Amino acid sequence: MALDIETLVDLYRDMWLIRAFEFGLEREFKKGNVPGMLHTGVGQEATQAALAAHLKATDCFFPDHRCHGINALAQEKHQGDGERIMAELFGRATGVCSGKGGSLHSANPRVGNFGDNAVEGSYMATVLGVALAWQMRKEPNVACCIIGDGTVGRGEFHESLNMAAIWKLPVLYACVNNGYAISMPVGKGHASADIVDLARGYGMPCVQVDGNEIELAYVEVARAVDSIRAGNGPYFLEFKTWRWQGLFSGEFRPAEEVRYWKEDRDPIRLARQKISAQSSLQDADLDRIEAEVAQQIERWIDFAKNSPMPEPAKATADVYVGGEGLR
Amino acid sequence: MTATTVRTRTFVQALNEALDISMASDPSVYLLGEDIAEMGGDFGVTRGLWAKYGAERVRDTPLSEAAIVGTAVGSAMVGLRPVAEIMFADFLGECYDQLVNNAAKMHYMFDGQFKASIVVRTACGGGFGGGPHHSQSVEGWFLNVPGMVIVAPATPADAKGLLLASIENDNPILFLEHKALYRIKGDVPDGHYTTPLRKAAIARPGKDVTVVATMKMVHEALAAASELEKEGIDVEVIDLRTIRPYDAETVLASVHKTGRAVVANEAPKLGGLAAELSATISEECFRALKAPVVRVAGLDAPIPFSLVLESYILPGKKQVVEGIRSVLRA
Repeated sequence: MALDIETLVDLYRDMWLIRAFEFGLEREFKKGNVPGMLHTGVGQEATQAALAAHLKATDCFFPDHRCHGINALAQEKHQGDGERIMAELFGRATGVCSGKGGSLHSANPRVGNFGDNAVEGSYMATVLGVALAWQMRKEPNVACCIIGDGTVGRGEFHESLNMAAIWKLPVLYACVNNGYAISMPVGKGHASADIVDLARGYGMPCVQVDGNEIELAYVEVARAVDSIRAGNGPYFLEFKTWRWQGLFSGEFRPAEEVRYWKEDRDPIRLARQKISAQSSLQDADLDRIEAEVAQQIERWIDFAKNSPMPEPAKATADVYVGGEGLR
Repeated sequence: MTATTVRTRTFVQALNEALDISMASDPSVYLLGEDIAEMGGDFGVTRGLWAKYGAERVRDTPLSEAAIVGTAVGSAMVGLRPVAEIMFADFLGECYDQLVNNAAKMHYMFDGQFKASIVVRTACGGGFGGGPHHSQSVEGWFLNVPGMVIVAPATPADAKGLLLASIENDNPILFLEHKALYRIKGDVPDGHYTTPLRKAAIARPGKDVTVVATMKMVHEALAAASELEKEGIDVEVIDLRTIRPYDAETVLASVHKTGRAVVANEAPKLGGLAAELSATISEECFRALKAPVVRVAGLDAPIPFSLVLESYILPGKKQVVEGIRSVLRA
């Protein structure tokens, strides 16, 4: 199934937004403007763009560590202020969590972003409750949980898939298998390098997708979301992909592997080739899209940099709903 | 709302009434846990509710404590009021991350955009030969976690009022039920009422010494007070009721009045609630204190199986009496 050219170009723009966001963030991180740790999603743009295209603001997604991109996309698409994700990463008062969350805890329920939990896999349990509430209220929403291959090692993987299956909950498991859990190769850390093999025992549809082909990712997410909305219960998608970021200390993977994924399997380059082959759009048109997106990201970075820091005394606010008196 | 009639109820019946009343009045309240549906829970707290409210709202789960609490948290994120049962408090290690890193921090780290309005009920405490994994007092495991609320009733009336208050509260609440109290009886008002959270009760007024206690130790302290009354010693017993955040005002006012304090808690002494209360009393009441604060607590060992060994570890009336005598001697 081929997508119409407008959809493909929209997805191309979304993927660029994710990449430009991450590149801009990385640049500012190296300059010391972004505190904490940085996990980028460069190379994984197709899965995030495909998910963002099909999830509504009334659905939810629990993002993983490399999800700045889908956080920003959802924020921009549903609320028109993607710069507030950037500001959160800069620890500013204008961020979506007023600087309390940062890279690993950016949330905004109004756009469906239910927040990362920096203990990988933790939200695999949390997503069950959102899905259960919607099932009990007969609301046809999709509760999506984006996990990496490393998260599959957590006990919550089993507890979550099992409970979603027995209760037929509307959960979309989007497993982004980028080949490594920090430095642990997926085949060394799990009984199978193909995560769908591990998920199949729970009796839900399990589909492995080339996560670097945006058209395939888009179509498979659509199919999964439709099935869940129709009340058929949970659905497991495994996106085979590769992350560009190595370790903090540098690259640890073989040079040929790095070359292959960056040059032959770059999801943005593959999409560009497809658009050029299927339409009258020229390189110059696509370059213009990239330049527009790049400018947008620079505006977001400027917004973040120029935003005020939080009031220090806010650090003790909101520990309890209703304050210390618990009212 | 004020309740009208008062009846004699066990602790378990009081808890059951609280669940029944909140489920009848609020459709967003539901229960989940292991064997809580048809079976009514290991201690019978949810008995009859499955038949009355159905399997949708009284949900049996597999042995998946992380998923139980995670489900509770997620459903609270979109407005439900779950009451989860973790069969024994000793199993909370299996869902510690859900409570400590998710529920307790969610409202804070997401800047107030979500409320983890959950209640996690669990049976704690020793004294019946349950052994190392069915007997522990776990409040210390959670005492150091900002955002967590720990509620610990000592009487049937408070069990009902505090459980209703907890279900209606928007914070994540760990609700501790001491197993030795499940069968005790007491006067319980009929109908709906709440007992305020973060508000200690003066279980027995007195003027010579303050004993601050929780759960079963409240009863041990009251028994100690009765014994010492014969000698003319007038003991004030404070039932803390909410362990975190706790009602320091009531505790400190009492110690300012009596000038002597004993803290009684079943958990091991090192790093526990007794240590925290003792430190706060010493800091805040130093000039009023006529003797150093004494901690009556469990010995620093796991809880062994054999009753002879277990009773060696756990504090009771005898240790409270000794504690009171020692602060009076000083």
